[in-house]
Amino acid sequence: MGAVALRRPRRFTRRGRTLGGAFALTTVLAACGGGGQGSDDPNQLEMWTFKQSHVAGLEVAAEMFEEETGISVRVQAFTPDDAYNTKVAASARTNDLPDVLEVHANGSDFSFGGAGLLEDLSDEVTEEWTAPFLPTVAQEGTVTRQYYEQSLAPGAATVGIEEGQRYSVPFTVGTFGIVYANKERLAQAGYTEPPTTWEEFIEMLDAVGREFPENGGVTIGMKVPSTGLEWMLQPMAYGQLGPDAYPELFSEDESANWASPAGVTALETFGQITPYWTPGTGIMAIDEADLSFANGESSFVVGGTFTLAFLAENGFDPDNILTFPIPPPEHGAMEQTDLKPFALTGLSVVREGGNQEAALEWVRFLARDDVARGFAQRALDLPPNDLGENPEEAVGPLLGSMAASLGESEDAYHAGDTSYKPNGYDGADVGAVLAEFTPLERADAEDTGRALARLINSYWAESRR
Amino acid sequence: MSGETIASDARRPSEPGPSAGGGPRGTRRRPAAPERAERASRRARLREAAWGYAFVGPALVLFGVMGVYTIVYGFLLSFAEWNGFWPQWNWVGLDNYADLLWRSPVHAPAVREAGVNTLWVMIAVPLLTVAISFPLAVILNSARRMSGLLRSVYFLPYVTTGIAVYFAWQYILEPNGAINLLLRSVGLGSLEQPQGFLGNPDTALPTMIVVMVWSSVPVAMLLYLTGLQALDNSLLEAAQLDGAGWWRTQLSVVWPLLRPITAVIVLLNLRDSLQGFQVFLIMTNGGPGNSTNVLGLETYRLAFLSELAPTLGLASALGWLLFLAALVVAIVNQRALRRVG
Repeated sequence: MGAVALRRPRRFTRRGRTLGGAFALTTVLAACGGGGQGSDDPNQLEMWTFKQSHVAGLEVAAEMFEEETGISVRVQAFTPDDAYNTKVAASARTNDLPDVLEVHANGSDFSFGGAGLLEDLSDEVTEEWTAPFLPTVAQEGTVTRQYYEQSLAPGAATVGIEEGQRYSVPFTVGTFGIVYANKERLAQAGYTEPPTTWEEFIEMLDAVGREFPENGGVTIGMKVPSTGLEWMLQPMAYGQLGPDAYPELFSEDESANWASPAGVTALETFGQITPYWTPGTGIMAIDEADLSFANGESSFVVGGTFTLAFLAENGFDPDNILTFPIPPPEHGAMEQTDLKPFALTGLSVVREGGNQEAALEWVRFLARDDVARGFAQRALDLPPNDLGENPEEAVGPLLGSMAASLGESEDAYHAGDTSYKPNGYDGADVGAVLAEFTPLERADAEDTGRALARLINSYWAESRR
Repeated sequence: MSGETIASDARRPSEPGPSAGGGPRGTRRRPAAPERAERASRRARLREAAWGYAFVGPALVLFGVMGVYTIVYGFLLSFAEWNGFWPQWNWVGLDNYADLLWRSPVHAPAVREAGVNTLWVMIAVPLLTVAISFPLAVILNSARRMSGLLRSVYFLPYVTTGIAVYFAWQYILEPNGAINLLLRSVGLGSLEQPQGFLGNPDTALPTMIVVMVWSSVPVAMLLYLTGLQALDNSLLEAAQLDGAGWWRTQLSVVWPLLRPITAVIVLLNLRDSLQGFQVFLIMTNGGPGNSTNVLGLETYRLAFLSELAPTLGLASALGWLLFLAALVVAIVNQRALRRVG
């Protein structure tokens, strides 16, 4: 047998070992994100948003901010919302959050704040700061007694918040329950004015559907089942029942909740829309439904004030849009449905970030009237600022008319108010029950009312457990 | 010392002499040659082993971090309440499991509904996959012309399956999609689905099953084809000599011989049906209503689509329940495999 030649492995040189070790160490440290929260550069801020349509407007504002202060702002968007939340959670664990976050006001701001990720701004945000805002939204982002009590319930997402803390400053306001209609098609079907009652709306749908049998329908992103419920049925039911009886629909009282005669009547009225859904609505995502309208496959889409930006972004001419709130039924408790604006998104400052002073300055800068109006015009989203007597002049005709249509009265419908719903209430699951009624037509109004009441009762039971 | 020297030292016959360092007066003496050779050999072995560990080390660390750590982390999480942000977990013992299985009026019904849908998928997907892929493999195996091309064509769904294909299916199945158009154009308008095949709760789950079967047939067919080509021809010839026709040969000889492959295909598809959720997430998100919600998707919803509610522990618990179910399926399948083997 011949000799087996064993070769001694080649040794690494000292320099090679040193370089290798340094590389490994750098990699590990980089993976652990040891850099701390926010930007490392004192003249630079980082900001994250979950709204792609806000990026351009924020970047223009950032240029102005840099000119005034010398501090640059880098804006990054992560979409959709769920991916954004996951990104924030992962970055929080690696200590790698930006300086400023755009958040859902009175929602994710409290969740992040309660978990200790955000700075409590209650001492920083003065009355002078919020002076340009609408009085009804100026305090949003602040933990009220009601939000605090909700946070104490089992399964609450906002554990850790304290009454009086403020975790965000309003950045955009608006509401749900706004119908966007194709103005040209409406005119062709003989309509130039928005409907004032639910029945007129149904008549309008019928007329447009007859004129445009292929694409005259109404759509909404029901792949997220809460949309049908929260953006359509709820404002309609509020108009039908009024501010006192409407919240009872979500109670355990069998004589007043969805299973009651009032609840079933509301469902039956809402069911009148069933023949007019664009085919496939039951399975369309929100963006798909908006695109269906933008591409002319539907003549109506229901969304929120924020929908306008998406439609414009996707090439739909804003001048060809007629907007109106979901109208109340003819003999309902309300003569017209005023939609109360509330803060949809807010700006939060990350806790223990390196550039807190600059971050606060940036958030405050965005609240300035001229900056907010410039942002609104570019992003086609409403700012929390008071737009004065003539909002069309301040932010353009379409956005201005939408702002003008929002109501401030006591009886205006507040889509963001969840005080009458149990803790742990899941709009998606409740919306899925409604979807069985319309558009799917697999249950009638009575069965749906009972199923809704049963599910909502289970949330009440869960919240007491 | 070169490698050659080590090797030659190791082969040298042992020489007589005192043991290392053991002189009569304790004087230090040079170790004898065989001893030196043995040491050198041991050093070489150690060095070789060290290099081996160095190469395996990163993979072990990676497995430790990505595998063991996450498994243990996930298991512990299933006994806690957490939303991904809280600084600390809230330990709840077995509550998550109880809530999912029977106790919670919110979660238990949703899990039950998803469980029923999953069961349908678990029954239909393996059965249909076998029912389609076996005959297809037999036909392809007997094709004399263009068999390579045909195999490639039938294997195409596997290499193209992914998010883009699921989106493509979505477009094909929508109200104005290709399938409705095709049905209309061939005079089968009564079979059209005005809401699209995914928009109607009665057709949504069966349609999803068809899409899953479409994705799983190529691999199953390839496995059957491999089995068919490994069959001993003498068995088939013997059957034919005994007078068995083509059908009889396929059913009584080929099918029983390929039973182990069938068992593997069934197991793979059961596992995919039990744990898969991507196709449901992309194409229906569990809708319309909850008609296509399956357990895998419910787990994902609890983990990532619950509006920051502290349901990560519930998601983890459901994941472990799915793991247990998969384990039971695997054991049953292994027993069956042994029996047929």
